[in-house]
Amino acid sequence: MIRRFGWRASLALVALLTSCGKSRPDSQSGTKPEGASGNSKAEPSAPVEVVTSSGIEMVALPGGEFLMGSDRGNADEAPPHKVRISAFLIDRFEVTHEMFAKAQLPNPSHWQDNPRKPVERVRWRDAKQYCNERSLLEKLKPCYNEKTPDFDCDYASSGYRLPTEAEWEYACRAGTEAPYDFGPADKLRQFAWFADNATDKTHIVGEKKSNRWDVFDLYGNVSEWCEDVYSLTYYKESPPLDPTGPPNPGKDVKRVMRGGSWKASADMCRATLRQGERTGDSDACFFTDYCGFRCVRRATPEELQQLRNKLRRIAP
Amino acid sequence: MPNRNKPSLVTARCNAGRFAVTFPLLTAALYLATGASTQAQAPLKDRLKGSPFRIAYECYVNDNWEIFVMNADGSQPVNLTSTPKEHEHYPQVSPDGTMICFSVDVGEGRDAVRSLYVMDSDGRNRKKLADNAREPFWRPDSKVIGFLPQEYSKFNVIDYYTKGMRFYELATGRNEPHPNSTNLHHLYSPSFAPNGKWIVSTVHAGMGYDHAILAIEANGNKIINLKIPGCRACVSPDGKQLAWGSGDHQVVLAPIDLESETPSVGQWRLRILDKTNETYHVDWSPDSRTVSLSRGPASKGDPSKSGTFQSACEIVGVYAAGWNLCAVSAEREGDVDLNSASEAEFTMLTANGFSNKESAWFLPKRKESGQ
Repeated sequence: MIRRFGWRASLALVALLTSCGKSRPDSQSGTKPEGASGNSKAEPSAPVEVVTSSGIEMVALPGGEFLMGSDRGNADEAPPHKVRISAFLIDRFEVTHEMFAKAQLPNPSHWQDNPRKPVERVRWRDAKQYCNERSLLEKLKPCYNEKTPDFDCDYASSGYRLPTEAEWEYACRAGTEAPYDFGPADKLRQFAWFADNATDKTHIVGEKKSNRWDVFDLYGNVSEWCEDVYSLTYYKESPPLDPTGPPNPGKDVKRVMRGGSWKASADMCRATLRQGERTGDSDACFFTDYCGFRCVRRATPEELQQLRNKLRRIAP
Repeated sequence: MPNRNKPSLVTARCNAGRFAVTFPLLTAALYLATGASTQAQAPLKDRLKGSPFRIAYECYVNDNWEIFVMNADGSQPVNLTSTPKEHEHYPQVSPDGTMICFSVDVGEGRDAVRSLYVMDSDGRNRKKLADNAREPFWRPDSKVIGFLPQEYSKFNVIDYYTKGMRFYELATGRNEPHPNSTNLHHLYSPSFAPNGKWIVSTVHAGMGYDHAILAIEANGNKIINLKIPGCRACVSPDGKQLAWGSGDHQVVLAPIDLESETPSVGQWRLRILDKTNETYHVDWSPDSRTVSLSRGPASKGDPSKSGTFQSACEIVGVYAAGWNLCAVSAEREGDVDLNSASEAEFTMLTANGFSNKESAWFLPKRKESGQ
């Protein structure tokens, strides 16, 4: 169902009901959402907030094109390249302890003092198992095949999965090209829990300001697993449409982790910064206490149309 | 709260010393008297050849987890279970040597159900004790089995997927919680100290601990952090030593004081190292002179195999390709590197690599009538 989210939902509603085409008033020039030309058949040009059947808040993002990477960051962030992303839904918040418990999964987190804190010390495969459990809870088709060593992903399935790093960066940059979507680095304290303000621990999700597309804690609190295999040189060969990362080399595999964390410097919180992390799947106890995640789900054109219709129905 | 009118399952007097001395015990006495320790320089394999002890363990054969028992030198392995549709693992032999409790998985993936069973140490008289439970352990008098209930009803293979602790009394079928059960969370690999006063267990991400090995008061609320790194600790049958995995590649033996009100572990005296393989699941021989452990390459399992799961391969239910059991003399001090150890210090017990894990030593004994 669609939930009323005050001014943000109103903005989305206005965008949908007027032209179905303009980007959000506060978005900048880096993203060209589908429908920006005013095509009435296009997907919504502004994020739409939804609550899933199991009660989890997500944001439906329009498909679009953006400039991924940076030539002013680390070597693995270059070259900047155009990527087109299909519409998808992303969790507004990092997966929390209470969400993990609802899926009946053992919580591996170091800080367990509040159920609204993000889970951490999560192995890559455990994050994927959570995605499958949540899919089953909502009667969706799980994306991950648990009988394969890497829990192979069926991107065509209706269920939840980890974001690709392209999807993650698209959501984080929210239509901007700057290192942070909100502007200068000195405002980072307003948007993220990171080394300068987190006092060496995680915090309840959603306490800081969201990014322009109403997604919280992308820059800090815990870093977030992505689906992709990490490769230093992937941007030189990445396909332009919905990239899903390089093939698994089979040995010494690292997976992409995005976003800053409670122990990251401001520079480590940049939208384009890439990290490669060992998955921990062969460790019984995974002690990397800044590893969390959030889920995404593909949005079909039919679902987007349903969202529009529902939004019209609840409009005053 | 336990019923005050009934004796608590954990406070009942430990009767280990009252067991009738039978033929196997005489054999054991003879084994010790004939100078097993004076032959310390003889190959360990040869020393174990004359041992009256046997070893139970889990092994994956014919697409199935089974419980085997073999002689202390690894000879004459016998499959005690042979159940094609049920997966048995985690054997724990009663201190009196008469029974084995173990876990059984039925079903696949998230639909699997893990239950606890007990049978005679020759494989007969199998009986279910509990569903959605795991990691059983014996009270020293062999009359009560402790176990850890699953955290949630849905199956998960991870070892610390537990909440609470319960005790099952074999004679009556009574099943009651530990007095501090509501506060026990994410424990794994518990075992009783021979004096019955303490339960040693690992905790991960629970009870306010990041990760620790704890001494939990058997009939009270006291919990002591033993402040040693690692997991899966096991108290020697004489109650004087602790062995545990202090990392993926080493097992450590150290003195422990379990008679005091605040148990503590001393400096390690023997460190068993293997830089190539992982080493886990240490267990003591009944005479506290030898330890056995599981050993093999790191992996995250093989999900194509029936009844197995993906996770770290030392975990129960995860197939550990190439893993075998070995024995190491616990009588010496210092370091033993398994890749260069002498035959006097170390011997392999299994060789097939079929995920041989969770060894449990015992001195076999038949149940007496009425027991």
